[in-house]
Amino acid sequence: MLKLIQNEWMKLWSKKATWIMATLLIVILLANAGITKWIESTSPAPEIGWQEMEEMNLMSAQDQLQNPDIGPAQQDYYEGQAAIAEYRLANDAEPFKVESLQQQVLDGHMMLSLVTLFTVIVGAGIVASEFSQGTIKMLLTRPVKRWKILTSKYITTMLFALLFAVITFASIALFSWIFFGIGDGAFLVWNGSEVVEGSYWAEALKLSVLSLASTWMIGTFAFMLGTVFRSSSLAIGVSIFLMFVGVQLVFLLQRFEIVKYYLFTHTDLTQFYTGFMPIPDITMAMSLIVLTVYFLVFMVISYWTFAKRDVTA
Amino acid sequence: MSNEKIVEIRKLSKTIGKKQIIKNLNLDLHKGEITGFLGPNGAGKTTTIRMMVGLMKPTHGDILIGGKSIRTDFEGSIEKVGVIVENPEMYKFMSGYKNLVHFARMHKGVTKARIDEVIQQVGMQNRIKEKVGSYSLGMRQRLGLAQALLNNPEFLILDEPTNGLDPAGIREFRMYLRKVARENDVAIFVSSHLLSEIELLCDRIAIIQNGELIDIKNVNEHQQSRYYIEAKPSEQAKQVLEEIGFTVHPHENGYLIDTEAEHIPGAIKLLTAAGVDLYAVQPHRTTLEDQFLEMTGGGEIAQAHTK
Ligand SMILES: Nc1ncnc2c1ncn2[C@@H]1O[C@H](COP(=O)(O)OP(=O)(O)OP(=O)(O)O)[C@@H](O)[C@H]1O
Ligand SMILES: [Mg+2]
Repeated sequence: MLKLIQNEWMKLWSKKATWIMATLLIVILLANAGITKWIESTSPAPEIGWQEMEEMNLMSAQDQLQNPDIGPAQQDYYEGQAAIAEYRLANDAEPFKVESLQQQVLDGHMMLSLVTLFTVIVGAGIVASEFSQGTIKMLLTRPVKRWKILTSKYITTMLFALLFAVITFASIALFSWIFFGIGDGAFLVWNGSEVVEGSYWAEALKLSVLSLASTWMIGTFAFMLGTVFRSSSLAIGVSIFLMFVGVQLVFLLQRFEIVKYYLFTHTDLTQFYTGFMPIPDITMAMSLIVLTVYFLVFMVISYWTFAKRDVTA
Repeated sequence: MSNEKIVEIRKLSKTIGKKQIIKNLNLDLHKGEITGFLGPNGAGKTTTIRMMVGLMKPTHGDILIGGKSIRTDFEGSIEKVGVIVENPEMYKFMSGYKNLVHFARMHKGVTKARIDEVIQQVGMQNRIKEKVGSYSLGMRQRLGLAQALLNNPEFLILDEPTNGLDPAGIREFRMYLRKVARENDVAIFVSSHLLSEIELLCDRIAIIQNGELIDIKNVNEHQQSRYYIEAKPSEQAKQVLEEIGFTVHPHENGYLIDTEAEHIPGAIKLLTAAGVDLYAVQPHRTTLEDQFLEMTGGGEIAQAHTK
């Protein structure tokens, strides 16, 4: 299996397109840091200090806590926000500025949608391209069972996603260090009973892992479409369309019970830690179960069609 | 030639939709023997070969390679098989060498030394580091042969392997296959349209039509000896020949008679004595092409299917 993965990895990186994607990712992140820097240097100094900002945060968190519609995850979140804001004001503990390495790393998980995009392209093409090039017949006439070949391709797609996530964070850290440097401030967390200082790297890692769940699901979906329809453009098109429209549908379906079983209600696992939940009464456990079921369905369809198919290409 | 059975095709059938493409095909292949697989377009050659290498699943029947079933022990049966199905498609964005490394990793025990050896054998050492996209068709065919030989196969299966090779290339390829069959005792199964090619290459020919195996014959099997005689006036010549007791078939401008060489001088004497002018007396060989067309009923493509 290791050798098969090695093969897939070699083929992946022998393609120009892969290097172009890697370059594009780094260029986008560089541009993003550059634009942030440019806006900072051209806009006038803010009129309000961080204390006023924290007071506003505190008020809005308290407002939210009055709202009867929020779910338990949001309840926890806003309690934590309020406690942290109070703590900052009471102890004169300044938060990170946006233009600092720390805050950029903390927000880095939002950039992972780029990784999803590239993973969709790779996952959609990794099986489909073997069919369109006609190489599938060379690949399947070896003493290796078909499911092993498919598995190596799936693992390679996921390794690609991981590598690109690492590149994303390395680039963000590097560019924001160059442009903004390491800022002052403390990262605080609410552990349920008191406010303590935490590691922003650990927090960034947690949010990224949660964000990658969506990369994983959409990547798996694209992989399935590429395997079933043997057309990478179709698979890329449909997956990217769903990536954008799928989330919007959550709002449309909001009032119906079915929304709780809908994939895109659950793909963003960071929602349990950022307070923004379109459907407030779902839980992390529920999301994990729904995602696992979807994953299994996607996998069964992929393996079944790949193993059964008569290759006439 | 050890004549040991290496491949057994047993009651092989394939139905796609309602169409039965392969009908109850039985065939054995032996070590060291080159078997040609011949048939008109759409007869089912490619389909049979795809089933033999696991690209398509048989509807009924089975294929045993080295005694192992392709259905129940795919990895075991395909282990010692080398395959070229139609044009060998390679990864164009990688070098020939990387392509071979790629396929070598999918077999057990193919070393770097073996890869180099195969490259030498197909004469690709000068261009092997270049991208396959820049290769000519003939070079791609050579690389295709190289990948099929990587695992030291005991059974080589080739679907129209000489497609795109120039005459020198075809000749070289033929020599090479004969050598592999003789020296390494490899069984070879080749499908082709080029009848003359098959005739030169193969020990044995299997003919398929409309999905049915209609004949298996050895190439150098003793042929009925025939002579072609052209003489004028031809009516008179025919009469003389019939009087001698030959069966006479009109052919081109003269006649064909079924007879052995020793009866020819006598016949010539009788013909000249009867005042007939002889223009030609020559042995007549039916080519494989004639036999093939005779057997498959001319140029119609897979009649049964197009009905
Ligand atoms: N996927 C398919 N669906 C339906 N019919 C098919 C399919 N594949 C092949 N056939 C039919 O099966 C028959 C045999 O095709 P095959 O490709 O095996 O012929 P062949 O002997 O290799 O012909 P050629 O000499 O042209 O290469 C043809 O009539 C073809 O139309
Ligand atoms: Mg064919």
